[in-house]
Amino acid sequence: MSEQPVDSLEERSRALFHGSVENLDMRIRSRLTRARHAALDAATVSNRSWLSRKAWWMPAAGVTAAALLGAVLWMGAPLGHHTVSLADAQSNLEDLDIVASSDESGDAMEMLQDDLDFYDFADKAASPEPAA
Amino acid sequence: MSRFGTLHTAWMVWDSPAPAPEGVVLEYSRELEKFLADIERRAFRMAQVALRDADDALDVVQDAMLKLTKNYASKPSSEWRPLFYRILENGIRDLQRRRSVRKRIMTWLPGPKEDPDNEAQDPLDSVADTATPIPETLMQDQALEKLEVSLRALPTRQREAFMLRNFEGMDVAETARAMGCSEGSVKTHYSRAVHALREQLGEAW
Repeated sequence: MSEQPVDSLEERSRALFHGSVENLDMRIRSRLTRARHAALDAATVSNRSWLSRKAWWMPAAGVTAAALLGAVLWMGAPLGHHTVSLADAQSNLEDLDIVASSDESGDAMEMLQDDLDFYDFADKAASPEPAA
Repeated sequence: MSRFGTLHTAWMVWDSPAPAPEGVVLEYSRELEKFLADIERRAFRMAQVALRDADDALDVVQDAMLKLTKNYASKPSSEWRPLFYRILENGIRDLQRRRSVRKRIMTWLPGPKEDPDNEAQDPLDSVADTATPIPETLMQDQALEKLEVSLRALPTRQREAFMLRNFEGMDVAETARAMGCSEGSVKTHYSRAVHALREQLGEAW
């Protein structure tokens, strides 16, 4: 509860002030009412739009996070096995070019088959047989 | 459920991702509207006393309403009043500072000087009032005018303390929250304000 002052100056000044508040003209009262409604409308719109933004972003953020996690897992897992040099990569691309060229597609398929046999042989030769 | 409890529940729902039920939003809006409707006229008069201009006073009151509803409506309703008056007083001080700067610039510029505080420029002020004055009303108007002049002559913090404590009926703690100072400072400002007003208005006032 408020502590009410008891001084006569305080009492009189308070009475005068409240009298002037009661006697405010209609123009001021009307403008204050409009200001209040504008403030309440602005707050409602602001809060609702914030809510709708929040509701929209939550599933979007979930999908983005899942996609990022998937990308990290997909990129991260083969990293250990990917010790392919730049030269190897270029060679593979050249092989694909040969296969893709329509003029010599028959020869290319034969060459690719040869290469596959060679790679298979090279792989076996490189990795020693486990001791029996 | 208590008033605060209801409002708190309203905001718990309001703050959740799902849209708040219409009834809860309505209840919250009504609570806030009731608070603003209760306070707006006194706030306007206090701003008018400080700024001596009805339009400027309306502007700062509207600005305070907007800031309160946008930024602090989620606070417990018991905190709205000190928060509202803090925003209002900041608005008043900003406006007074801008006026002071404008006045300083105007004195350096050539041409006719504009006095932003000059109230005698309204042509209606020079029209003779033909209505027979009622002695009691006239005396009250004069007393009020004298009071307002004396309040404006007070240092800002003293004026704030006096108006919040005496006109708005706030206790010391609430006034301290509104003014952003200690309760001891509020008591000092208030006491000095009463003393200064008594000196200016006279013992018989």
